[in-house]
Amino acid sequence: MFSRRNLVTYAIALLLVLAFNFLLPRMMPGDPLMAIYGEEALVQMTPELKANLVERFALDQPMWQQFGAYFGALFRGDLGYSYYYNAPAFEVILGRLPWTLLLVGLSLVLSTLLGIVLGIESGWRRGSKTDRSMLAGLMALNGFPDFFIGMVLLLVFGVTLGIFPLAGALTPYSGLSGGALLLDVLKHLALPLAALTLAHIAGAYLLTRNTMITVVKEPYMLTARAKGLSQRVMKYRHAGRNSMLPVITRTGLWLGRVVTGALFVEIVFSYPGLGYLAYEALLARDYPIIEGVLLVVALFVLVANFLADLSYPKLDPRVSYAR
Amino acid sequence: MLRIKDLRVSYGREQVLNGIDLEVKAGECLAVIGESGAGKTTLCLSIMRLVEGTSHGHIFLNGLDLLSLPEQSMREIRWRQVSMVFQNANSALNPVHTVLDQVMEPIVEHRLASRAEAQRRALQLLANVGLSPDRSSAYPHQLSGGEQQRVLIAMALANNPGLIILDEPVSSLDAASRAEIVALLKQIARDHTFVVVTHDLSTAARLADNIATMYAGRIVELGPAAEVLSRPRHPYTRALLRAYPNMTTVKDLQGIKGKMSRPVAGCAFHPRCTQAIGVCAEKTPPLVSSQGRYLACHRGGIITLLAIRNLSKSFGSFKAVRSVSLDIDAGETLALVGQSGSGKTTLAKTIMGLLQPDEGGVYLEGKRVTSRAKDFYRKVQMVFQNPGESLSHRLSVLELVREPLDVQGIGTREERDQRAKRTLEEVELPASGGFLESYPHQLSGGEMQRVAIARALVLNPSLLIADEPTSFLDPGVQAKILKLLLNLQERRGLSMLFITHDLSLARKVSDRMAVMLSGEIIEQGPSNRVVSSPVHPYTGSLVQTASALHSESEAGETVDQPGAEARSGMTIG
Ligand code: SF4
Repeated sequence: MFSRRNLVTYAIALLLVLAFNFLLPRMMPGDPLMAIYGEEALVQMTPELKANLVERFALDQPMWQQFGAYFGALFRGDLGYSYYYNAPAFEVILGRLPWTLLLVGLSLVLSTLLGIVLGIESGWRRGSKTDRSMLAGLMALNGFPDFFIGMVLLLVFGVTLGIFPLAGALTPYSGLSGGALLLDVLKHLALPLAALTLAHIAGAYLLTRNTMITVVKEPYMLTARAKGLSQRVMKYRHAGRNSMLPVITRTGLWLGRVVTGALFVEIVFSYPGLGYLAYEALLARDYPIIEGVLLVVALFVLVANFLADLSYPKLDPRVSYAR
Repeated sequence: MLRIKDLRVSYGREQVLNGIDLEVKAGECLAVIGESGAGKTTLCLSIMRLVEGTSHGHIFLNGLDLLSLPEQSMREIRWRQVSMVFQNANSALNPVHTVLDQVMEPIVEHRLASRAEAQRRALQLLANVGLSPDRSSAYPHQLSGGEQQRVLIAMALANNPGLIILDEPVSSLDAASRAEIVALLKQIARDHTFVVVTHDLSTAARLADNIATMYAGRIVELGPAAEVLSRPRHPYTRALLRAYPNMTTVKDLQGIKGKMSRPVAGCAFHPRCTQAIGVCAEKTPPLVSSQGRYLACHRGGIITLLAIRNLSKSFGSFKAVRSVSLDIDAGETLALVGQSGSGKTTLAKTIMGLLQPDEGGVYLEGKRVTSRAKDFYRKVQMVFQNPGESLSHRLSVLELVREPLDVQGIGTREERDQRAKRTLEEVELPASGGFLESYPHQLSGGEMQRVAIARALVLNPSLLIADEPTSFLDPGVQAKILKLLLNLQERRGLSMLFITHDLSLARKVSDRMAVMLSGEIIEQGPSNRVVSSPVHPYTGSLVQTASALHSESEAGETVDQPGAEARSGMTIG
């Protein structure tokens, strides 16, 4: 199903990501150690520790050996040490990752599904009132950045109406468990999720609607009608199924945008995911964390793209990769 | 089963169907033929009530007027009582579902059976139409065109509807799969009612009991398939048959003059019709019953231009022509084939009034010809064997061509010159300078014959009698002159009586053929029939000698055979 060429493409992309992450701190002017560990850490360091670190990153060695060492460290899950959090960067990031995954994953699924369904409904009755108002509404929504929508939601539902909590992912020290915990999580998730989803519906919606408009004119839709099928079957099984294909191929592409969007939305809601972590780290100049987050996000997008590619042939039988 | 009354369909301001009346009885197969753009597909879709435009009139299916049903009831009728095999199987199937799913879908959706049962039935149907079982879980794009067509047919059969509409069921297929699919359809037609829309006449011929010819949104001829195909009576049906390249039509491929245009007042065909009269441009002819057929034509279909009845002529005791009767239709070419001495030329001369008949007579457009005055020669002209003899050597080319106009006293001198020059251009001769001044003996044989043809045509006759017009010419020139005659015939809608001893030549140019032996017509009929299955032994021997000659010498030179075969895969557009 999957061609070698595609795999090679992914491998190259992966290498590029790694190389970039490796080179970035080393290209910065000044002491690479400072770039890797940050100013603060450097001041606190004893000379022995410093020597130790130089050796560990092979900083006195030629570039390619440095790369080898970096690679080896990565392999061991060593992203460096965060002096700000006083823990290995990898652990810090891992602790925050689930929240981002939750936010991004749900919002991606929701925005794609909603976008597709709305796109199908809208394209099916193109030119009708429903279609026109949906189109106008979503186009308008599309114009705002996600963090802006987040801020509006926060102000309206959090501050003014007070329905949802203003920050965090959990009520601290509440000691909740079971159903109550789940409810608490959902309550905290609702606004950031809504912000991110609303900001990204339009993409899937517009694409589905556009495809739908051409699909309903396809001869096989006439066949479907001639067969005496019900509206629902015609709309979803015949037209919809074909109209969502382009959306699925672009999921990978959107994922990148949703992830970056999530980083900002997290900051708005102080949601303890990777975005908020990166923000904190930035303020504290905790470079290992920032670099780690960048790396994880890049890897994440890459993997998701790969999965979307894998699923596409299952959805559109006409696509079959040459072996 | 299906009865359509005064069906009119329009898309916006464009009227596509202009009052269709049709009836299809249970178990029957009706083929609707016509050029693309005649409204055939619209007709199909209207029966399913799938047209976008507005429809008026009535479509009765099993007594129910479909046009008055609410959409919901119509939905239930679709595919249960009437299903359709769509044009272009490739795009009529949904690319993202397996063919099995698509075949079983209507069974399930109309709640005729459980999923499992539906699947079993669909598999059975796919097997019945000859799709190998392992292909049933394939997606449409994985199948060949022929296989896709089979799937569409199985799908149409899924709910066992009484009526199946087939819109160009084979037009997208290659010749081999075409034959297979037609055979399959033929078998299915045994217990289903079909309406087949096609511009592929051979499909129509193989499947249909009745044929309806459609032109510009109207039915212009309707009758039993075999009769319509062998003896079309509407000028358009004949033109369509002529234009259709297949192996059984032996005449050279001939297009239909002009293009279909709409809207047209009166008979929609009149701008292209060679026998149109005044009323044709004013009133639309209704479809009326006429001798076992329905025809929409003010003149009752193709008219008989010249009728010869019991004509006899003897020279002393020698009976040159014995009680000959022949009809020549408007716009057709009749070949009169026979050896020298069989009486062909005598017959021609008698028609022209150069000889007086002993018995019988000649009728032009239904009126007996008693005296041959200017009127007659305006309508009937002749081209002789040897232009060297028939052209006066004392006249220049221009004078020769102008002379008939001078005799008839048509127009001013100026106009006559103009008309003569135009006719010369029509026969592909230079109409200027030196050539006009030249005299016959300065011309080549081919040029002389062209001048003779121009001279015959300058009066714009309805009938041209050509007596061995190419026998004095060498083969290359011969082919060119023949081509010219055919072109002129098409453009002007001439009728032609083509006299020749050469059967293979006759079959190339003629619609019908009459074989003459010892002063008698021993056999006549459509050229392809006469050549492919001659009835009279003498005709048989002619065919044999002709084909023997054919294979020996003319292999490279004849226009017809290999070309016609190659073209048989094509359809008229
Ligand atoms: S003769 Fe007149 S009515 Fe008949 S087909 Fe020709 S134009 Fe139409």
